[in-house]
Amino acid sequence: MLIELTNVTRLYGIVIGVNDITLSLPNGAHGLLGPNGAGKSTLLNLITGQLRPTIGSVRVLGFPPRRSPELLRRLGYLPGSEGMYADVSALEWVTYLTRIQGFDRGAAKRLALQALERVQLSEHMHRKISTFSRGMRQRTRLAQAIAHEPEFLILDEPFSGLDPIARHAMTTLLQQWIAEGRSLLISSHVLHEIESLTRSFLLISGGRLLASGSTEEISSLLIDIPSEVRLRVGAARQLAAEMLNLELAESIRIAAADELIVTTRSALLLGQFLRCVVSEGRYLITEMRASDDSLQDVFNSLMKIHRGMA
Amino acid sequence: MKALRRVPAVFGFEWRRALTIPRLSWMLALAAFAPVLLMLVRSAAGSPPPPMVAAVFVYVLAPGVVCMMSVFLLATPAISAELEGRSWVYLAVRPYGLLAVLLGKYLVAVTWALPVGLTSAILSSVVMADTELPRMVAVQSGLAALSCIAYAAVFLLIGVLAPKRAMVFGVVYAVGVEVGAAFIPAAVNLLTIQHRLRCLLVRGMRMDEGVAERNPVFLSYFGDETATWHIFILLAMTASYLIAAALILHFREFTAAAETDT
Repeated sequence: MLIELTNVTRLYGIVIGVNDITLSLPNGAHGLLGPNGAGKSTLLNLITGQLRPTIGSVRVLGFPPRRSPELLRRLGYLPGSEGMYADVSALEWVTYLTRIQGFDRGAAKRLALQALERVQLSEHMHRKISTFSRGMRQRTRLAQAIAHEPEFLILDEPFSGLDPIARHAMTTLLQQWIAEGRSLLISSHVLHEIESLTRSFLLISGGRLLASGSTEEISSLLIDIPSEVRLRVGAARQLAAEMLNLELAESIRIAAADELIVTTRSALLLGQFLRCVVSEGRYLITEMRASDDSLQDVFNSLMKIHRGMA
Repeated sequence: MKALRRVPAVFGFEWRRALTIPRLSWMLALAAFAPVLLMLVRSAAGSPPPPMVAAVFVYVLAPGVVCMMSVFLLATPAISAELEGRSWVYLAVRPYGLLAVLLGKYLVAVTWALPVGLTSAILSSVVMADTELPRMVAVQSGLAALSCIAYAAVFLLIGVLAPKRAMVFGVVYAVGVEVGAAFIPAAVNLLTIQHRLRCLLVRGMRMDEGVAERNPVFLSYFGDETATWHIFILLAMTASYLIAAALILHFREFTAAAETDT
């Protein structure tokens, strides 16, 4: 098992960092999603052993992570904050950290060179880090995390501050990493960044685990949750009245003269009704857009449940 | 042993990082401070000072002020700089990384301060000693070395204990304990580095000959233990401080608040 958390709670005084999280993750790639302040970094700090849980237990690759050399040998970590030495070159810094990982000078330098080449920084690796762009610094940080070839890589907001080209390059690199059969836990508050890497997600907010599983599994949790349908239709008011009379809609908002936003718990029946009225030519519907299955919608729905809004 | 294998990596890396023109300038100024000041004192006095007075002057300025100041500047912020710079986490997720960093930075502080302290002690001795120059040089150099070794450990411990206010607590310790408490003729001064160094100065420069028969005031300040005993105690104190710092690093959570988003 990659990660096992049992009733893990972490308090900062009276503030709850993470709240009673229990989960087991198998080897593979997983995304940790949540808005800023959700507790993602606290959870990663618990997983990397920098924090002790106030209650509960954490095991990573079978080891309790707090100051565990056995685990740290197998772990690569890219923290959320930069924290690099500005006055050294990328090669010096990555070599230094790889040496502390336990490699001798020659092996550490060889591994650092490989890692910097992998993140496409070979050309600039002798430059001081202070002269690097944000994207180059992020790639250097990734190089230190992968240089010692860990079997489990943990990345805290790795796409933060990257331009689209750098994002694409990092996504490609991480896809290769996953394809090599290594494990990955990546945190982000931007969903589409992670969707291209994994189908396994943990959604947290307010320190609580809202849901975990694939997009489909999480969607299935929302079966009874009202879904939203947008319609562009000629006689919008008339159609709205008809849907309400037939109790097909929970609520209807007339967004424009020809636009309805319908909230329904009976999406199937609503679909059948709309198919009927269109085929009978009673209404001219020019656009119909249901909330799709993107993770953002799933996440938004879970957040609504969590906040008692649904 | 596994941690010790990583110490040379930290030592080499941090030593190179410390090799900057501002740092070299500071160290040169510190090394020159004591001999230049003593030269001025001596030229103002007009006549050569008595050997004991000369030894005390050199001791106070070289192994005392210069060595203490050098290691204070290098060792005290060693841990807080990593925490403030948020580079701590990269070290904390390496096997035995924190212990390697602690010991590596300790060695960097000692090896940077040692040439400064030795240069200061030797030049100051040359300036002040009209007689027994070789003895003065040997004793003051030894005291400078011991001063760097012991003070580096205590300032490193202070930096680990109070990383957010390391420099402030370092000054408070230096003034309150090493200057204040060290001169209180009671059990408390036995715990200070200053007391041990002072006793070693007295033994090394043979200042106790003829005085210690058995003047209770003299004994209360300088005791009657041998030089070997004082050196052993100093080294034991150094080891204790380093072990304490290592234990604190091991058990304490140093994650910066900014590192967490909750």
